[in-house]
Amino acid sequence: MTWFRQAVALAGLTALEVLRQPVCLLLVLVSITLTALLPFLILHRFGEDGKLVRDSAFALHAVFGIFVAGYAATTALSRELQGGTASAVLSKPVSRDLFFLAKFAGVVGVVGIFSLCSGLATLLVERIGEKFVTTGGVIGYVTDKQTGVFLLLALVMACVVGALANYKRQRPFGSITITALLAGLVICVVIGCLFARSGEWAPFAARMDWRLVPVSLLITIALVLMSALAMALSTVVGTVPTLTVCSAVFVMGLMSDYLFGQHAAVSLWARVLYSILPNWQHFWVCDQLNAGGQVSRAYVGMASLYAIVYAAALLCLGVVVFRQRDV
Amino acid sequence: MEQPDNGTVLEVFQLTKVFRDFWRRPRVTAVDGLDLSVQRGEIIGLLGPNGSGKSTTIKMLLGLLHPSDGSIRILGGRPSDVAVRKRIGYLPEDSYLYRYLTPRETLLFYGRLFDLSASERRQRTAELIEMTGLGPAADRAVGEFSKGMARRLGLAQALLNAPDLLILDEPTSGLDPMGCRQVKELLQALAARGTTILLSSHLLADVEHVCDRVVIMYDGRPRAAGTLKSLLENQERMLVNVPTLDAAATRRLLDLLRKELGCEADVSRPSMNLEEFFVKVVREAKENGTPGAAGESKMATFLQA
Repeated sequence: MTWFRQAVALAGLTALEVLRQPVCLLLVLVSITLTALLPFLILHRFGEDGKLVRDSAFALHAVFGIFVAGYAATTALSRELQGGTASAVLSKPVSRDLFFLAKFAGVVGVVGIFSLCSGLATLLVERIGEKFVTTGGVIGYVTDKQTGVFLLLALVMACVVGALANYKRQRPFGSITITALLAGLVICVVIGCLFARSGEWAPFAARMDWRLVPVSLLITIALVLMSALAMALSTVVGTVPTLTVCSAVFVMGLMSDYLFGQHAAVSLWARVLYSILPNWQHFWVCDQLNAGGQVSRAYVGMASLYAIVYAAALLCLGVVVFRQRDV
Repeated sequence: MEQPDNGTVLEVFQLTKVFRDFWRRPRVTAVDGLDLSVQRGEIIGLLGPNGSGKSTTIKMLLGLLHPSDGSIRILGGRPSDVAVRKRIGYLPEDSYLYRYLTPRETLLFYGRLFDLSASERRQRTAELIEMTGLGPAADRAVGEFSKGMARRLGLAQALLNAPDLLILDEPTSGLDPMGCRQVKELLQALAARGTTILLSSHLLADVEHVCDRVVIMYDGRPRAAGTLKSLLENQERMLVNVPTLDAAATRRLLDLLRKELGCEADVSRPSMNLEEFFVKVVREAKENGTPGAAGESKMATFLQA
C-alpha cells in the first residue's frame, strides 16, 4: 500500500499548499462574507420568500467555486511544473500517474472544503432571509436575526483565530482561518438546528431547509468536474491559458442547450459540440426548490454519474499527456 | 533492485536530447551523444558553462526528461523505474521547495514519499535539520528563507533516503564558504561509505576539491573527461616542498639545482587559498566562543551506517 500512503501525502500537501495561499483565503472569505450579507442586501419581498437570497447564495457558491477550482488546479500542476517543485517530487519514487491523480485528489479536497463552507453558509442565510410565516402564533415576515449574528461572528472569529495563531505561534494565517471558519459554520448550523426562526426552542434540525443540500452537492460536483478539466489542461498549458479555457468552457457549457442543443438535430457540428461540452445546466437546479419542490436522490445520482464519467475521461487524457511530457 | 556485479552504477550511451517547439520542429540540441560510465563510490563532476547540457543530462538520468536518443541504465534499471528512484537522492539546481511548508514539514513529506516509518521519518528529519544547521528555522515557512538556507534544506531532502546515488546540481550555489566546506566534507564522507555522487557545478574549486573524475561539456557534447590528476597534472614541472630555508640556504639549493640539472628553478612560498583562510578564521572565532549562524555539521547517524 505504498502507493496509497504516497497518494495521501501528495493529496494532503496539495490541499495544504493551496489553502495556505492568500488568494485562496481571499476567495473563501469574500465568498462567505458576501453570502452572509445577502439577507441584508436583498430587501424587497414580492412574495419570493427568500428565493433571491437562496439563489444568490448558490450563484456565489458556483462562481467563486469555479475560481477556487481553477486556481487550485493550476497551482497544483501548472505552477508546480513551472516552479520546479513537480520535478523535485517526481525525482522521488513516485509514478507520474500517481502524482497527477493525487494532485487532483488534493484539489478536490480544497473544492470540498470551500463547498462545505459555502453550503453551510447557504443553509444559514436561507434561515436568516425574510420569510412570510403563519405558524406559532406569528403571522408576517420573520427574520432570524440571531443566526445572522452568529454567522457574522463566525467570520470575525475565524479571522481572529487565524491572526492569533500567526502572531503567537507563527502558524499559517490562511489555512488556520479557513479551518476556523469551517468549524464556526458547523457550530452555527448546530445552534441553528436548536431554534426556530422566531427564536424559540424547536425539535433538533426540524427548522433547517435540508432541501438545499442536494443543490449544493450538485454545484460541488460541477466544481469537481471543472477541476478535472483544469487539471487536464494544466498538463499542456500554463496558468493563464488554463483559466481562460476553463472560463470559456463554463460559459459555453452553461448555454450549451441554447447554443448547440436546439441545432443538434440538423447540424453535425452542433451535435458534436453539444456532446463534447459539459452541460452545466444539469448541475444548476435551484428552480426545483420553488413552490416547495426538491431535488430527488435519483437525479443527484444520475448527475453524479455524468460528472464521474466526464471527469474520468478528462483525467485519463491528463494522465496520458502527463506521462509523455518533459517535467 | 541490485546494482550490477561489476560495480557500475550508471551507464549512459549516446544520450541525446533535442528540445522541440510547439510544432514539433527541433529547436535546440541540449545534449548530443553523451557516453558516461560511473562506478560505485566515485565522485564525478559534470562541468560546463551555462547551456552546456549538464542539467538536461541530470534530468534525463532521473526520468524527468525523455531522451530523444540513446540509453540510460541507472542502478541496474531504467530512470522511470520507481524502485530505482528510491535509491537516488537529488538536489535540483534551484532547491524547488514548497514555500508555505516549514523545513520540518518538507522533510516529513518527502519521508512519506520514501515510505519511511513514522519513527524513522521523525528521527531522520531531526538529524538532518541539526546537520544542516536549520534548527532555529525548522518551523518557519520556507518562502521566507535565504537562498543559502533553502539550499541547506534542499540538501537535507536529497539525503533523506540515505541514497546509493546522489545527484547534485550546483550543490554549493548560494552557500557561504563555511557551508561550502561542510558540503564538500560531507560528500567526501558519503563517498567513503560507498555512496556514488554525480555533481554538476560552475564552481571549479568545489569540483577540484571533491571529484575523482570530471566530464567537461560544451554545447551538449563531452569535450574532455578523465581523472583530475590525468587532466590537470603538468608533466613538465615538479615542486619540491621543504621547510622554510634562510636566504643563504635557498641560494645554495638553487645553485645546486642549476649545476646538477642544468635548468632554471625558482622558489616561492605555498599559500592557502582564500576559502581555506576563511574557514580557518571562522573556526578560530568559534573556538574562542563566538556563536555563528550555523554550527559545525555533524553527520546524521543514518548516513554513517
